[in-house]
Amino acid sequence: MKRIRNFVKNTFKNYPKEEREKLIKSVTEMLTEKVEDLVENGYLLEDAINKTVTEFGSIEDFEDIKIHKKRFRIKNLSHYKNDILFSIVSVIIIIGILAYVNLYFKQVIWFVIPSLALLFWPLSMIYKYLNRKGSEKENRDD
Amino acid sequence: MIKSDLIRGHLETVILKLIIEQDRYGYEISNTIKERTENQFIIKEATLYSVVKRLEERGLIESYIGTLTHGKKRRYYRITTFGKTYYKEKISEWKEFKLIIESLLEA
Repeated sequence: MKRIRNFVKNTFKNYPKEEREKLIKSVTEMLTEKVEDLVENGYLLEDAINKTVTEFGSIEDFEDIKIHKKRFRIKNLSHYKNDILFSIVSVIIIIGILAYVNLYFKQVIWFVIPSLALLFWPLSMIYKYLNRKGSEKENRDD
Repeated sequence: MIKSDLIRGHLETVILKLIIEQDRYGYEISNTIKERTENQFIIKEATLYSVVKRLEERGLIESYIGTLTHGKKRRYYRITTFGKTYYKEKISEWKEFKLIIESLLEA
């Protein structure tokens, strides 16, 4: 019967926690009853479990109970703009600190090198933004 | 096997009817459906469970733990008064529906 429980657990693993425990418990109960009935009618336990598992159906048959798929946040263009803004502001702050430390102690000009690396952050954000903008334009044209 | 989409909308009523006849447990319901339709329609446990759960949440049926003659435990479902009323309503709806479709398709 452990197999039944594992099967049910696995089937509903994407359900929200509050609902899941109860759901797993009652579905397991129902399937266990079926297995017991089948065994009584002459099935081997192994076969009864296999039959029950295959006849259960899929999560799509689980109609009308809201399938709480994780809703991914759909980013729109303004999100990407915010990303760019955030990265630019952050980079300015970090480069500022580096430059300040560098110049304050009158060292060799080394801050340019980490700054260069840092600049790739806003750069990649801009790339993503333009990418998104391009694909949206394409969708509109269709 | 008949397309289950057509039956889906009436599953609630079917299950209510089976429970009105006598108190039944989960597998008994699906087995009875299978037998009565002579294997033409087989309800999957996943579907059965979600319908039963919905019926129970709406107070149309209620469940209790019963014991079979040889001591095994089963979760039985019984109809409530509300369930009976609901069933009557659904049946008259069905009859009306049947007449409409008949007059349209078999004219």
